[in-house]
Amino acid sequence: MTESPETKVLPSTPVEKIRLYGVFCLFALGFLYVVAGLAYRQLIQAGDLKEQSESQSRRLVLRPPARGRIYDRNGFVLVDNRARWSVQADLAALQKEFRAEYLRLLAAERARQAAQVDAERVMELARVNVLQAWLDKIWFVIDETQKPDVRRSRPTVRSSAEPATARKVDIEELRRHLRERRALPFTLLSDLALPGAGQAPTPEDGMRAVARFIEQFPVEGPIRLESDIIRTYPHGTLAAHVLGYVKDTDDLPPAVQDFDESRAGSLQKLRYTGKTGAAGVELSYNNILKGLSGWELWTKTSAGYNQTRLKYSEPVQGSNIALSLDYRVQLSAEAALAKIKDPQGTPLPAAAVMLSVDTGEILALASQPSFDPNRLAGRISQADYDEVEKKGAWLNRATQGLYPPGSTFKVITAIAGMRRKVVDWDDILECGAFLRVGDHDFPEHEPVGYGDVDLDKMLAVSCNVWNYQVGLRAGSDALAAESRRFGLDSPLLDNPAHAEGDGQPLTELPFAASRGLVVPDREYKLRIKAGPWTDGDTANFSIGQGYLLTTPLHMACVAASLARGETRTTPSIIHDVSRDGTHRGAAPIGLSRVQLEALRGGMVRCVEEGTARSARLPGLPFAGKTGTAEYFKKGQVAHLAWMIGYAPADNPSVAFAVLVEGQLDTDTWGGKTAGPVVREMLESWAAVNGVRLAPAEPPAR
Amino acid sequence: MDQNRQGARASYVALAVFVAGWILLPSGVRRLNREAFAEFQAPALHLLGRSRDLATYWEKRSRDAEELSAAGRDLARINAGLELKLKMLEDVRRENIRLREITRYQASPEYLTVVARVATRESASWWQRIVIRKGRNDGIRPGAPVVFGDAVVGRVAAVHLSTSEVDLVTSPGFRCTAYLEGDELNRIVLVNGVAAASLGSAKARVSVIPHDYTMPAGQPARVTTTGMGGVFPSGLTLGTLDGAAYATQVGNFKESLLVPSRDLYNLQEVSVLVPLKQNPGEALMQADQFQ
Repeated sequence: MTESPETKVLPSTPVEKIRLYGVFCLFALGFLYVVAGLAYRQLIQAGDLKEQSESQSRRLVLRPPARGRIYDRNGFVLVDNRARWSVQADLAALQKEFRAEYLRLLAAERARQAAQVDAERVMELARVNVLQAWLDKIWFVIDETQKPDVRRSRPTVRSSAEPATARKVDIEELRRHLRERRALPFTLLSDLALPGAGQAPTPEDGMRAVARFIEQFPVEGPIRLESDIIRTYPHGTLAAHVLGYVKDTDDLPPAVQDFDESRAGSLQKLRYTGKTGAAGVELSYNNILKGLSGWELWTKTSAGYNQTRLKYSEPVQGSNIALSLDYRVQLSAEAALAKIKDPQGTPLPAAAVMLSVDTGEILALASQPSFDPNRLAGRISQADYDEVEKKGAWLNRATQGLYPPGSTFKVITAIAGMRRKVVDWDDILECGAFLRVGDHDFPEHEPVGYGDVDLDKMLAVSCNVWNYQVGLRAGSDALAAESRRFGLDSPLLDNPAHAEGDGQPLTELPFAASRGLVVPDREYKLRIKAGPWTDGDTANFSIGQGYLLTTPLHMACVAASLARGETRTTPSIIHDVSRDGTHRGAAPIGLSRVQLEALRGGMVRCVEEGTARSARLPGLPFAGKTGTAEYFKKGQVAHLAWMIGYAPADNPSVAFAVLVEGQLDTDTWGGKTAGPVVREMLESWAAVNGVRLAPAEPPAR
Repeated sequence: MDQNRQGARASYVALAVFVAGWILLPSGVRRLNREAFAEFQAPALHLLGRSRDLATYWEKRSRDAEELSAAGRDLARINAGLELKLKMLEDVRRENIRLREITRYQASPEYLTVVARVATRESASWWQRIVIRKGRNDGIRPGAPVVFGDAVVGRVAAVHLSTSEVDLVTSPGFRCTAYLEGDELNRIVLVNGVAAASLGSAKARVSVIPHDYTMPAGQPARVTTTGMGGVFPSGLTLGTLDGAAYATQVGNFKESLLVPSRDLYNLQEVSVLVPLKQNPGEALMQADQFQ
């Protein structure tokens, strides 16, 4: 078969061959380019591209953990978590309904021949309408009293000017949600079981609402019931200043160990709102309480909603903490403080502290007025903030309140005098109605004076003139030095054993005063530009007045130190059974045994027959010292009632301090006002520890 | 050859048109279609159930006299025990009436009991749903609890003229609140069915168990209905906690699996507790159907 010229397809001439090979080469180069590009993307850029793809199509959702619980020293729960039942709408599943409603509204707008249709506004209205319709259905099921018409075709839509209620979709909240957390479900009803918030009059009504929703609302569909965990303070205001409260945060704790942070670096992250400590133990021990966040890896739709959960890991609850508080003693301290009222029936501002003499562990720490942490957990409403502010309840008067200690300071004046050998335990000083210092008469609180007074009598009757004399003999520097030895100028630090072992810094006591403590001396007076130091200042200093400022907790520590014969007590709010009773910076008190016994004996006599008689407890002899300090309120003099001491007298176990802020119209005196509080606290402590008290004495005829 | 191809193409086109038509049909028409299918299927289900009953009947008829005599003896003993209990219950009933009179307690039976034979299991959701031989004609309404003795079996999911579909406790569509035995504070927990994996056994989960709840020693804790949700009467048994899974802890709560109190796979007969008053959930289901 011969090849005809018409069927010739192969190049025959050199030029044609060159052209053909040229085309081949071009194709080969092109192919190589494609292969090389493919190889480059598959082999070299694969990791980056995969990451890019994942970051565009996936999302990480972080879930907050439950915080650890807080117990008292006996395992009684002080701070807990509770289930919060919320009804949430899955916005992704509602897309079709949003679209249908949007089209309906759009058609209505066009039918009205509106000049300009704002598509964004119509879409928002459509979302609100759909969500409101579902909310109406939810209320139809959970509300046993009102029966809205569920067959109503369209719900009433609230304008943004109307106030938000639990029965209306909060437009502002919806806008914020779509702006910040579009992918997460939208909460239609929060905390269904909470009386008030869920509009349930009682807790039982709240649980009934939850139960009705669970059993009657369709399981399938875009509306679901979610239970998460929120902080609860089951005893309300009890120990509120110690426990503190939590606030909302988007800064969640680190995620659990199986979470690969490096791989998640470029992924979009969404966080549910969590809680973090805002005050008190909740803040100080936040690192222990906070736990580890859980995470969920989701694919997302083109509209930005979550689609499928690929992986997840549950959050890990924070560790529990056992506080040194004893629930029952704390309860009695607060109850006793609440009984002290002004003529209008309002409880007076006050504080009470009781701590263990051996370990420094705080058994009760009460401050009045107080607040309910349940109302502050989360977002604090302006009304709640104003209420706490108006009452002056933010201040923890036991650890932050700065007061002149008054006559309770006389024990330190006596120690300073004996250590400087300007007076001894059996020296008798002549104490008249006043002492002339410079050109001022410094008065005794007994108009005719006390005559011959030794240490024992001074402590029993709280003689001022004895202290003026001893203070002036010892000098202000000695008084200041003795005050510092007892730590009156030092902030109080918590000392949990586990923190020391871990080499972590010591934690400041929750709400402790670290600034404002004043142990006055010559330099201090010059520094505040109050002129040179005078003998009058020393006289004032010797009875705990003048510039000296301290806290009730400091004075409780002084009492505990006296009971042990030492100078320092390190208080702690954390319960630790392995605590060995050593106290940071503690030194022997520096008195002879006889002097120390005389000092203690005087304090016992103060309770038995002196100014602290109102606190006497038959069957439980204890040591005490009262004080009535003056302070200025609205330019006028008011009184502070103090009492410090320790019990039992022969084998000290607990020390205490009580302070009550008298008002201008109240009759406030150390033993008379603070004594009954001490008495109730000790009765409670005795009951808890099985100490048998003698039966009450019959009234004297 | 071309004709065959054309025929195949026509089949595909017909299928596509049918599917598209089905998708585009209004939901009401589709629901009507499903309803019609259920009614069409109902006689077959009745027949199936009755033939099973007949088979059981003949199986029992075939037993010998000795066996029947022994069974009769056992029944007589059980009967005697029950008669004794009945007398005791009569005393309790009288005391109950007396107390109601004293407290002027206005109570009326809240449920009408309808006994129904199990026709079959729903083949589309094996182990999760049963079909019973009573329906709308017998007064059964959607959402009504279904029990056997004092044990909850499930609740009515759909009602047809002469049959009803019942979601079992282990169905993902089942959800109710419960109390745990031994929890003195009577805190509610959530019981819901779990979607079973293929060839896996159906389960129900008990969740939101308080962290401080401890199971009573020596026996599995009973899980009972709360009566708070307005659907189930209080005190009915849902089952017991599965001790093996009890230690699971999620966040601050614990979870466990539920062991249903009855063998849900061998149910022959159940009682439907039809509430005398319609509850909002039921109204909502009906409203949704009409929309």
